[in-house]
Amino acid sequence: MSIKQGKHIAIYGKGGIGKSTTTSNISAALADAGYRVIQIGCDPKSDSTTILRGGNDLPTVLDTLREQSKVRLEDISAVGFGGVLCIEAGGPVPGVGCAGRGINAAVELLQELHVFDEFKPDFVLYDVLGDVVCGGFAVPIRDGLADRAFVVSSSDFMSIFAANNLFKAVNKYAPSGGARLGGIIANSILAAYAPALIDDFAGKTGTHVIGYVPRSLVVAQSELYGKTVIEAAPQSEQAQVYRNLAKYIDENDDSVIPKPLNSPELKKWAREWGDRIFEVETGVVHEMASI
Amino acid sequence: MSHHLEKSRNSCALHGALQLFEAIDAVVPVIHSTSGCGVQHYLGVTRLSGGNDTFGSPPVSSSNITQKHVVFGGGSRLREQLKNTVKVVQGDLYAIVTGCSTEMVGDDIPAMAREGRDQDWPVIFANTPGFSGDVHQGYHLAVKALIEQLPDIVKTQEVIPAGLVNIWGIIPNQDPFWRGNLQELGRLLEGVGLIPNLLLGRDQSIASWKQVPGAVLNLVISPWGKLPAQLLEERYTIPSITLDGLPVGTSASILLRRLTEQLELDPIRTEKFITREESLLNYQLARLADTYYRAGFQREFALVGESAQVIGIGEFLVKSFGMLPGTLVITDNPPESIREEVAGRLATILPGYDTVVIFSEDQSEITDVVRAGDPGLILGSSLEQEVAVELGVPFLALSFPLFDRIVLERAYAGYRGAATLLEDMGSAILSCSNYINEAS
Repeated sequence: MSIKQGKHIAIYGKGGIGKSTTTSNISAALADAGYRVIQIGCDPKSDSTTILRGGNDLPTVLDTLREQSKVRLEDISAVGFGGVLCIEAGGPVPGVGCAGRGINAAVELLQELHVFDEFKPDFVLYDVLGDVVCGGFAVPIRDGLADRAFVVSSSDFMSIFAANNLFKAVNKYAPSGGARLGGIIANSILAAYAPALIDDFAGKTGTHVIGYVPRSLVVAQSELYGKTVIEAAPQSEQAQVYRNLAKYIDENDDSVIPKPLNSPELKKWAREWGDRIFEVETGVVHEMASI
Repeated sequence: MSHHLEKSRNSCALHGALQLFEAIDAVVPVIHSTSGCGVQHYLGVTRLSGGNDTFGSPPVSSSNITQKHVVFGGGSRLREQLKNTVKVVQGDLYAIVTGCSTEMVGDDIPAMAREGRDQDWPVIFANTPGFSGDVHQGYHLAVKALIEQLPDIVKTQEVIPAGLVNIWGIIPNQDPFWRGNLQELGRLLEGVGLIPNLLLGRDQSIASWKQVPGAVLNLVISPWGKLPAQLLEERYTIPSITLDGLPVGTSASILLRRLTEQLELDPIRTEKFITREESLLNYQLARLADTYYRAGFQREFALVGESAQVIGIGEFLVKSFGMLPGTLVITDNPPESIREEVAGRLATILPGYDTVVIFSEDQSEITDVVRAGDPGLILGSSLEQEVAVELGVPFLALSFPLFDRIVLERAYAGYRGAATLLEDMGSAILSCSNYINEAS
């Protein structure tokens, strides 16, 4: 195997939590800062890089592999905003085949095509489907492919649950050369308690939050235009949030092996937060508590 | 705790199912898996069972899936393979069997079989991933598929002969003597006026399987025949007689008397048949007597094989031939509940003798146990030849894998099988170099 080009980052998170949006905006911010970036969507939905490419179609690696015996990089990639090289692994239609094996096959092909040697990226971002449901979805964090994994999570319990599952996978693979955890990207922050809840989960699992992305209309609007916030609203506050995330990823190489909570611990933790939120919402004032 | 297994003699479920389907005339198996599965079946099973494998290479239809079928699903590849198979191989029944990868992916096999049936192709399926169990489980799955799905395909009313008896529990090739054993069992049943439904082997076709529901009895020869018998009892209320082991020598008489009583057959006819057969066997034993004593046949033996063989052959050698059971190794890895039954059954034939009985499919463990017993004769698979040579004792290969003998019609079941067993075992003892040295 050739010497690895650039920093390889895997971004995980529960489906629908905004990881493609976050990843694309980080890619765009890195590209805007002058770096060469590859973003690889590792999700059968194959819509990871849509907003980097103005919503244009891009044949997926697996679809191309199915149709053609010889695949060239041009067939499966498109250059998006800021020169970001966009690749979608793709996968089977829902309910058929094995998407996990698909990720494996797609990554193998990219290595065979020497994509990283030829493009010489400064950053490679893998945008991976949420729950690490099987070994296939752990490919980017296994075998030394990505150096660090980040998880995008909101304050919803199921999102935290998915993050905890990723921590389990990192915990399993990191000691044998797999990716370590870079931190949590707190997304869709709206409720007042949300940052504290995510901070608390990060503390409990031995990691930290690298940035808080507020829920914002600018994101939704930019997406409707088929663009990242960096491209559509570069002066917005939201764009600055993504730039800060990109800056953190660029400047910090900190990583940990997280300590995932086991099932009873996670349930207990969630229940305690349920009680706290209820008390805040209903205005319960505890003895000796400062208001 | 897990341990490593050396030279297991139990292949996977897919192979067990293939062995069954291939033993029925004009049944065409279609493997839905990677190409290695079919090849491995040939190399690892068919070719190691008495030298009567298919000429050249295994003529098995296989979807030979590749990575793209794993990623995107292999349903369409199977559809194509089934269509092509029907086109080029004429058969009465096409049986889809699946391997590990297609089952991991979750290809919809019942839907593919249904599509075939919608086009009036006689198609059944059995989900037989190797991880679902070993070769015995494969036999179960294939028999179950036939019992459950054949009635949906074959709608014609069969004329069932009176006194039809289905025989279950003999797994083709896993018992290298399956053809001969079935023939001899058939001869026994005919001897008392019954009609055997052998189901497997020469001239056994879907026509035989169509008659299964109309049988008056299921005869279960090994623990692996219990499931088919149970299914048929539930579906068609067919009663069963369960033997646990091959009826060898006079055990056949016990079976025939049980059949006569349960099915209310003519006892005079039965006794006449038994007398004739036993008298022939006794005549043969008498002729062997001189050599028996001169060459010291009565010795401690080690017997390694499937439970049906160990019970059947062991019982005959101990009870009828005065041999001393030193070590019995049961290799078919039966589930815990069946192990108790097998051990209980063995206890009845080994009273008062300090016999080592183990269940193992690990060659290393089997060799150690056989060696430790220091037997004067070893009966086992071809794999036991090594320890026999090491110990310098006579050796007869009679269980799977059997790669140093040719078995075409040979049987060790029944009265005739008993005589054949004595011929083979006696020859092994006489031809052993130790004996020749002593004699000269």
